[in-house]
Amino acid sequence: MSRRSSFSLRGRKALVAIKDERDATIVRRQFERLGLEGVAWTPAEPVDFAPDLVLIDDEFLPLLQPAQRAFLTRSPVIALLGTETPSRLKLVFELDPASFLIKPLRSAGIYAALVMAFERNERTSELKQQIFKLEQRLRSRRVVLAAVLQVMHSHALTEPASFALIRRTAMEQRKTIEELSAEITARGMLPRATG
Amino acid sequence: MTKPSVPVGIVCSQSGPYQAMGREILKSAIMAVEEINGQAEFDFSIAPHIRDPRGIVSEYHTVCDDLIRNVGVEHIIGCYTSASRKQVLPIVERTDRLLWYPARYEGFECSDNVIYVGASPNHNVLPLVRYVLDNLSREFFCVGSNYVWTWETNRVTRELVSAANGHILAERLLELGESAVGHIVDEIVRRKPPIVFNTLVGSSSYDFIRAFNAGTKAAGLEIPMLSCSLCEPELAIVGPASAGCITSSAYFESIRLPENRAFVTRWRARYGEDSSPSVDGQSAYVAVYLLARALQRAGTSDIAEVRRAAAGYRYNSPQGPVWIDGGNNHCVLTPRLAVSNPQGQFDIFWEAEAPVKPDPYLTQLDVAVSPSKETSAGGALPNAPHLRVVK
Repeated sequence: MSRRSSFSLRGRKALVAIKDERDATIVRRQFERLGLEGVAWTPAEPVDFAPDLVLIDDEFLPLLQPAQRAFLTRSPVIALLGTETPSRLKLVFELDPASFLIKPLRSAGIYAALVMAFERNERTSELKQQIFKLEQRLRSRRVVLAAVLQVMHSHALTEPASFALIRRTAMEQRKTIEELSAEITARGMLPRATG
Repeated sequence: MTKPSVPVGIVCSQSGPYQAMGREILKSAIMAVEEINGQAEFDFSIAPHIRDPRGIVSEYHTVCDDLIRNVGVEHIIGCYTSASRKQVLPIVERTDRLLWYPARYEGFECSDNVIYVGASPNHNVLPLVRYVLDNLSREFFCVGSNYVWTWETNRVTRELVSAANGHILAERLLELGESAVGHIVDEIVRRKPPIVFNTLVGSSSYDFIRAFNAGTKAAGLEIPMLSCSLCEPELAIVGPASAGCITSSAYFESIRLPENRAFVTRWRARYGEDSSPSVDGQSAYVAVYLLARALQRAGTSDIAEVRRAAAGYRYNSPQGPVWIDGGNNHCVLTPRLAVSNPQGQFDIFWEAEAPVKPDPYLTQLDVAVSPSKETSAGGALPNAPHLRVVK
């Protein structure tokens, strides 16, 4: 499935935690123009849906409950900054924001911050998935090595030839090398030599 | 008894690479001001304060600062390029003034201190590209000026073309004012693309159209050219080479509406029988009228009151009914497609059957869906353009 364009925001639903009414009005108006639904929220309140985005005022920081922080890690966060002091920024980092806006808000900048947040979140998710896959492969290296040694002994092959045989068999059986290696080591079943 | 006077700034470049359009904007704005000042229905007169930034981007900020600080204007009509509008934005927002911006532009902006009178991208780029995809070609060769309007127009075009399984054969950009167009024409003649989409502006566009016409004619090629900006005064500047360009615009001089016939008659009486109004000029004229009617309704020049009075008020302008969408401060306009003829006019062959809501962020755009089938969250989009042949 192709991923959703970060430029198109229509139909997305955002949680909006803003203290100042003027800023909140500007966000509401800009969201209407962009086709987003904004749901007013204060971080103490429960949330009964999975938002696509969270806009949170730095005046709500620090978030004292771990549950609140855990909730915010599930969707991209845009931090609204009132001051740029390092102490305040340190609190903002705890949200791991995907983008930010400076208060007082203007309509200009909100679209860019939203697009940036969605795009940053997508890219981060892709990176996390990639890291997860690499970690899995790293963990399975021991299994692959054990399978290679087993095939080397049973078929009297060199290490490269043994690995090539496992790889070819995995391809024939439409399995990953790691899956086939796990089968070889767990069941003692050797791939049948094909040539 | 003398009517009270409302000072209004008019900011348009009378020199530089897009001076021709700046002059058209000025001519139309002044014509509207003088008409309004002569009409009894208005209980005030407009005092125009004209400034010429000479096509220099930083000058736009300087002249607007002067108009606001030293003249005390609350309303400014003008700017042509997006770069000039972006220069003026901070100052009108900081001082809470209102800029009435007449030009069509690339969208993706929405300031409470700007009334966007020209076309949004859904008014001109979308109908043109979709017409071409449905009727002419799925392969586009793009030539444009290297600035934001071309970048964004080409991005939207690329999305629509890709969704229709077509492709952009090339994207060639020239600096504003650049006249060395020969190498692009040579490439076009060599590659023979089915369509050339021209988003060049000003003198670069005129040079390109002449060279393109000569080059393709010499090679025995007939390649349609597309434009979202070409207008009648530019056809006159380019000469006979400008004929045959498929153009998308909310205004053409050839619109058969009584309001337009009267407008063109007044225009010619004032500026000569051989002259023609332009889309951006006419838009400046519309801007002055929208402002004047809003001032009259509001009974004050205070910008919050004027903005409120202006929103939703329907004005039967030369281009047809126009009103400001209070949700985004852009105008509801009627998209049209036309082809330029050897007489320096446009023959309109399509127009939307009703005025179309502005969609500056292209929120309603589904690239893979034809316009008549586009839907919004609330169901069918009432203002989606439907095909209507204009005879």
